[in-house]
Amino acid sequence: MQEIKAIIADDEDQLRSYLKSRLSEVWPELVICGEARNGQEALELIEKHRPDIAFLDIRMPGLSGMEVAKRIVGSSWVVFITAYDKYAVEAFENEAIDYLLKPVTHERLGKTVKRLQKQIAASIKPPSDMPEIVERAIARLYKKEKPGYLRWIRAQHGDGIRLIPVDEVCYFKASDKYTLVLTKESELLIKKAIKELVDELDPNQFWRIHRSTIVNARYIAKVSSSLTGRGVVKLKDRPELLTVSRSYIHIFKQM
Amino acid sequence: MLMEIFLHQERIYREIVVEPKFTVINRMHVLRAFSYTAVFNTIIAIFLTFLEFGGGFVKNFIISQCIGMSICSCILIVHFLFKSTKPFIQVAVIFIAMAIGSVVGALLGAVATGIGPSIFFQKYSLFQMITLGLLFGSIISYFFISRETISATKTLVQEERIKRLTSEKKAVESNLRLLQAQIEPHFLFNTLSNVLSLLETDLDKGKCMLEDLIHYLRTALSKTRGDTTTIGQEMEMIRAYMNIFKVRMGERLRYNIDVPDKINDIPFPPMLIQPLVENAIKHGLEPKIEGGEVFIHGEKNEEILRLEIADTGVGFYEDGNFGTGLSNIRERLISLYGDKGRLILEENRPCGLKAIIEVPRARD
Repeated sequence: MQEIKAIIADDEDQLRSYLKSRLSEVWPELVICGEARNGQEALELIEKHRPDIAFLDIRMPGLSGMEVAKRIVGSSWVVFITAYDKYAVEAFENEAIDYLLKPVTHERLGKTVKRLQKQIAASIKPPSDMPEIVERAIARLYKKEKPGYLRWIRAQHGDGIRLIPVDEVCYFKASDKYTLVLTKESELLIKKAIKELVDELDPNQFWRIHRSTIVNARYIAKVSSSLTGRGVVKLKDRPELLTVSRSYIHIFKQM
Repeated sequence: MLMEIFLHQERIYREIVVEPKFTVINRMHVLRAFSYTAVFNTIIAIFLTFLEFGGGFVKNFIISQCIGMSICSCILIVHFLFKSTKPFIQVAVIFIAMAIGSVVGALLGAVATGIGPSIFFQKYSLFQMITLGLLFGSIISYFFISRETISATKTLVQEERIKRLTSEKKAVESNLRLLQAQIEPHFLFNTLSNVLSLLETDLDKGKCMLEDLIHYLRTALSKTRGDTTTIGQEMEMIRAYMNIFKVRMGERLRYNIDVPDKINDIPFPPMLIQPLVENAIKHGLEPKIEGGEVFIHGEKNEEILRLEIADTGVGFYEDGNFGTGLSNIRERLISLYGDKGRLILEENRPCGLKAIIEVPRARD
């Protein structure tokens, strides 16, 4: 009978050697043909050795276990390994996908091994697709599913670059091609035009009130409208008053 | 206890009205004032006609509208101009406005009805005009002011409520996050798996790691609530935490803690530095294939205590829950030190991220 090969991918040395020694007890005939410390290495090993089974840690530097699994789909049986990822584990359970929890226990590993042996003996091919639900669960781990609005502003400050959470910005003011970022205590200049900025900010929190002004709604203390149809915004932590131009005054009218 | 916090949090969420908290003064206000005045003026006109005062309903109507509107305008203008001055001056100014308003209104009325100002003022003395103006003006003003005060008080009460609930909510949330940060399951299980493995391969190292874990957990878990600790104790805990990661990550992690002895005794809030160190490892170094270094540096001068946590990891990135941890630290700094506590984030050189905490020094 042809020998069955596997690779183990985990970024922590101890955890790889632990799994390896547990596997040698439960399945002595299994040949571990390679160990990978990150996703990239795992991919290279899989291409080189064409193993029957790949034990992949979900969280690895470079490529995650999930991304590796997607690229090798159909060529090896995949067993995911995780210390604690609630959503991923739920998805694995629902879709009957093999997974192991760290620390790996003898009993659990025994079950997984039995199933793998059965599938390989029956010459069943590894599934050629990754259920969408699993992909989503793992995407959630990395919070990559939402494109997301800008959360940080990178701005030159002294001779370094400072990161300011957008929540702390009181308002943005256009200044030629640049934009002035005003927080409670500082004023910084960024090399981005206000026109570009407006699309990247969360419109629920940042309101454009003038051709050259975007205000953070959380910092608005009061809005008064003049009889000429323009508005004046008073801010919470800054002394200056901002003008609401006639074309944007409707934002406040709906309230 | 966790459940209690969750329930409390839920209650607070339900109570908070999700409405913008600022007042919008729009033209509705002004319009309403004028329409009430118009109604009031009409009543006066009818009343005066009944008393057979003046020259019939039409003339009375026109004159009283002129006087009323003029008083109303004057009051509104004055109210707008003097709204931030002392109440005493406001009242005085409003009376003057009423007097001016009644005279101007009377003049206008006289012109509008075709009586002509000279005849009009012959018939009714200036004194009579002003007295009547003040009388009616006062009634109108009182009516408006009390209405506004009621609605302003209502708004104020609501605002106070929202403020209180928001701060309560923040406190609960940050407590919860503090709790979660300390017992991050991923960290716990991975560390325990390492210990399990070391029990087979390197018993001494395994024992050391378990001791470090115990030290970390004991310090972290005893500091849930707002009590203080010292820089020295926090650094001990962070050393234990770093040792754990050193075993797990091996060559991929190097670290250096450079905190002079003289600042070790300074009291410091618990679990402010740890999340920054955790971020440096979790979001900076762990995703980086070759790993990197973490530097922790502390210093003080006359006024401030400054702690820097720098890493040479992948640096600033947009995703991850990186932001909530930081805003939690910010919120705690603000609640503890007001404007004087700061968290600054900078790009580290040549790569990675640098977080700086600055707090005022307590006088000793």
